[in-house]
Parts: sequence; C-alpha cells; structure tokens
Amino acid sequence: MRISKKLLLYNLLSKGLILLVFLTAAPFLLKYFAFNNTDNQLFEKKNEVLGIISERGMDNFITDDDPSIGFGSYNILKEEYILLELWQYDNQVDTIFVEDRILEKEKVTYRVYSHTFKFDENTYILEIGRSIETIKDIESILFNILIVTLIIFLVLTSFLDSLFTEKILRPFKRIITNKLSQIHEPQQFPYLPETTTTDEFKLLDESITEMMGRIQKSFNQEREFISHASHELKTPISILQTKVEALFSSEEVSDRQMEKLMDMQLTIQKMKKTVNALLLISKVNNTQFLKSDSFNVNKIIADLKEESIAYAEDKDIALIIDQNEDFVLSNSNLSLCNMMIQNALINALKYTTERGEIRLSGHFESGRYSVNVKDTGPGISDELLKQVKDGIVFLKDVEKDKSGFGLQIMYKIALYLGIEISIKSSSNGTNVSFLFPISEH
Amino acid sequence: MRVLLVEDEKQLGIEIKDFLEREGYICNWSQNLKDASEKLAINPYDFVLLDLGLPDGNGLDLINEINAYQEDVSIIILTARSEVNDKIEGLQQGADDYLSKPFSLLELKARMQAIARRKGGWNNNLLEIGAFQMDLNSKLVSHGKVEIPLTNKEFRLLHFLMINKNRVLNRFQLAEHLWGDHLDDDHQSNYIDVHIKNIRKKMGALADVDWLETVRGLGYKIRK
Repeated sequence: MRISKKLLLYNLLSKGLILLVFLTAAPFLLKYFAFNNTDNQLFEKKNEVLGIISERGMDNFITDDDPSIGFGSYNILKEEYILLELWQYDNQVDTIFVEDRILEKEKVTYRVYSHTFKFDENTYILEIGRSIETIKDIESILFNILIVTLIIFLVLTSFLDSLFTEKILRPFKRIITNKLSQIHEPQQFPYLPETTTTDEFKLLDESITEMMGRIQKSFNQEREFISHASHELKTPISILQTKVEALFSSEEVSDRQMEKLMDMQLTIQKMKKTVNALLLISKVNNTQFLKSDSFNVNKIIADLKEESIAYAEDKDIALIIDQNEDFVLSNSNLSLCNMMIQNALINALKYTTERGEIRLSGHFESGRYSVNVKDTGPGISDELLKQVKDGIVFLKDVEKDKSGFGLQIMYKIALYLGIEISIKSSSNGTNVSFLFPISEH
Repeated sequence: MRVLLVEDEKQLGIEIKDFLEREGYICNWSQNLKDASEKLAINPYDFVLLDLGLPDGNGLDLINEINAYQEDVSIIILTARSEVNDKIEGLQQGADDYLSKPFSLLELKARMQAIARRKGGWNNNLLEIGAFQMDLNSKLVSHGKVEIPLTNKEFRLLHFLMINKNRVLNRFQLAEHLWGDHLDDDHQSNYIDVHIKNIRKKMGALADVDWLETVRGLGYKIRK
C-alpha cells in the first residue's frame, strides 16, 4: 500500500476512534452541561425573584388576608413554574432536585430549585422549576449540532490531510520513481538534486545520490579493469593462435608435429573460450551491451532450427519446433538474446541421448511471450542450478572438462535483458523457459 | 592489393604481415600512429588493418586521417579491447569491419575478401567447385540449372573452405567462422562434421564431391 494511502487511512482511523469515544461520552457530558446550565439559570431567576420581592414587597404575591395561600405561576406549555408560599418548618432549604409536579391534573417532571428565605419576620419557600422535557430538547439539539459538526470536521480534515500528505510526499515519490525504481543501470541515474524543503527527504536524496556515485565509480573501475584485462589476456592468445596457424599451414610440418599443433590449437581454443566467457559475463554484469535492437524472436528460433536440425538428426534426436504468432522484441540486444536461446538449445542437444526429443517452442502465455526449450535428457542437478541462480561463476561439481559457463551466460543475459528465466529439471528432462515481457514490446 | 597494418604488438605484427604477404598482399607495417600517418601520406592503400590500443594514442583517431588522404581504402579494426563503444564509434567513423582478438588469420582473409567483393573490387562472384557453381551474390550453389538446397551455415562453410582451398582447415577454425567464439566449450565443432556430411549428401547426389577432403585427425580441405 502506498505511504500516502497509509497516512490517510491512519488519520481517518485515529480521528474516527477519537470521535467514537467522544460520541459515546457525549450524552453524559451534554446531560451534565444542560443540567448545570439549567441550575445556573434557576439560581439567577431565584435572585431575580428575591430582588422583585425586596423591591415591591410580598403583598404582590401573598396577601395578609390569607397568607396560607401562596403564589404560583407557570407558562402555558408548563415548561417553567414558580411557587412562593409560607414555610412553616424550622429547617432551611436551599437545594436542587428532580421531582414530579401535578399541574392542572397533568404530571410533569421538573428540575426544581427550592430555597427558603425570611421576609418581614416570616419564612417563605420559593420553588422555581423547569421541565425535564425542555432540558432534554436542548440536549438533543446540542447532540445533533455536535454530530453534524464532527462529521463535517472529519471529512474536511481528512480531505485537507490527504492534500497535505500528497504535497509533502511529492518529493519522496519523485526520489523513489526517478532515482530508484526507474534506474536499472548506474549510468541512468540523474544527479540533479531533488527540490524539497523537507530535511529528511533532502538527506535521503543526498544519501542515494552519494551511494549511486560510489556504485558508478565502482562500475567505471570495473569497466576499465575489464578493458585492460581483455587486452592483456587476448593479445598473447592472439600471438599464440597466429603462430600456430602459421605452422599449421606450413607444408614442411610432419604428421606428428601436425598432431601436436592440433593439441595446441585445442588448448588455445579452450583458453579463448574461457577468457571470452569470463569477459562476457563481466560485461553483462557491467551493463556494457546496448539494448537498441528490435527483432523477431521467432526468427531466432527458425535460424536455430536450421542450423541444429541436421545435428539432431545425426544424433537420432527428434527436434520439434512449435512456433505460434510472431513476437517482435524492442529495446533489446539481438546477439545476446540469440546466444541465450542458443545456449539452452546446445545444452539440450548435448545431453539428450539417442531417440530422445527436444521441443523448441514460442508462444504467448499469460500476457507474456514464452520461449521453451524442453528436452528428455538426464536433467541438471538442483545443486548446479542453485549455484547458477546465486551467480557463482566457477561452478562446483560440474562434469570434468566442462565449465558450466553456458548456463551462467544464459542466466546472466536473461537477467540483463529483463527476461524471466525458469529452469525446471528432473531425471526425465529439463525445461528452460524464457518469459519475455510484452510491455516492452 | 596494398595493406597497411597498424599493430604495436611485434610478435602479432610479424605473423599477420607474413600471412598477408603469403596470400599475395603487399603489406606495410606501422607500430604506432605517427609512423602510420606518415605511410598513409605517401602510399595508396586498399586496406588498413588498425589496432586501437597504440603506444602513442587511440587507433580511432587515425580513421579521419585515413579517410581524408585515401578515398577508396577499407578499414578493418583489430582490437583486444572489449568496449562496445569502440566498435560503434569505429564503424560510425567509417571503418568497414571490426575483428576482435584473438582472431584466426583465415577469418581476417575472409573478411578482407568480403569487403573487397562488397566494394566491387572483386569481380569473381561466381566460383567453380568441381562440377558445381557457387554464386556469392545470390548465395546459391547449383549444378547446371539444378539448385542445391544448402542452408545458410552450409553455404558459409563451403565458401570459407573455398576461400582457403588447398589449405587444411580444422574444426575450430571452421566453427569460429560460423559462430564466433562465445559458445560453450567445443561442442560447435561437432556441428561441423554434420554440416560437411550434409553438404556431401546434398551435392553428392548430383555429381562427384571428392574435392571435399577429410584430412584425418586434422580437418577438411577443398582440393584444386
């Protein structure tokens, strides 16, 4: 999952979790605040009523004619009421509680503030109540406002978070794309610094650039070494070869000397092949081959068939070629690709015994083009295959007089050309598959 | 034909020069750029065989000078270096071919002949082998009016033997001519026997092919 998506998901989840906790606690909090607010209002109203009584006297509420009749008042919806009457008990009251009241035969639950006070040597009790329904209505309104506000907050902050994350991670993505994932060879690396104000990204960019510089330097040194080694090894072989060839074509050489010259040629040939194979592997590792050819892979198969069919017939091996549609590979290297498939076929021809079968096929398979070389030979040992896959150049336990370079070259070329190689081998035969990516076609 | 060999390696130079002179070429040999430059200014050449790593500079630097002095010269780069850019740059600057060391002298001769033929300096594009005709332009071998279905490799093998007729060519030399020298071990030389067998089979059905000799333990040759 992409880092921006992860951050967005994390933001949504963390905020969602906080909101969930908040929404769970909200009814209790709202109830607490609504009651607290109501209590404050009741307290203020009590003070207002006491102010009015002190200003206008008690006569406006309770008459001297019959002081036992108190004063009572409530609004039409019975949301609030006030009661004022004589208090005939000794104790003083100043409390808030919830209690039912019967008003016009209707039972209504109120939050009641009850307060006793002295006026003109009499003790009165003042009750101010607000209906619980009214308080709950306020709670409900507040709760709805809270939910809507929180949802809008969640959506807006997530959107802004996503925009900000995208913006802040843009240099990071450019570093990953332009300087890592698209770089297959050190020469492709762009050394221009990435524009960013984030210190960590600057550091990352500088570190990658520095690291790539070291790799590039090491690549160049290796290239120089290969060039010199190539010259130093090939020149003496050239001298030996030309001298032996000169003797070989001389008419004065006896048969016995000719035999010795053939032995020398065989040795020179082995030296040449070893040096060439080692240099080829080094050059492939050092990406010294161009990938600028476009060619038809089926043509390679057809050419290989032409040059191998006679040899196969001579060894009494059935060489079967299955070719489907043409497949043109672009941005690749024809001679390397040819060498890769040829090595697989030569191995098959070399190890398949009489009356065996080799099937060379090219066909489209699961969105890729697959070239298969399947034989009924004795198979390649797992140990040998493991060494090849691990990139070991000098293979252990290969047959006497065999180098195993063919397998290694085939494997390295496939890796270099971006072709997936699969080698399945058992005692019943070997199947080498080269899977060419069609996207690069 | 006049050849200028530019090669700093003394032992190699001696052998190439001897070989070319035995093949009938007039060969001058320079061991550095300066001497090569002087010889180019004085003598006309048909071929320049140019090594790249010379003691006083890069052989590639000489190509422009060669082209400036001599219009019809053919250049073959001979090098032991392995830089792919050398090959591209050399061919872009006007070299006709590129031969990596170590090479067979017979391969050098075949390349020189191919270039001469391509440039029109070689009139004989129709070769006679026994009762057969070999057309180098159409790459066909025929007996009278009957075409013989040789494969590309078989044609090249026969042609290489023809170029070097009366000379025994061993399997390594023949294999190297057909496939280069990157293939695994000596397996390719076994292919040569099969190709020779096929050539004999296809051509022998129409006429005698005793001119194609097997030299026991050594290789093959085409007899005059």
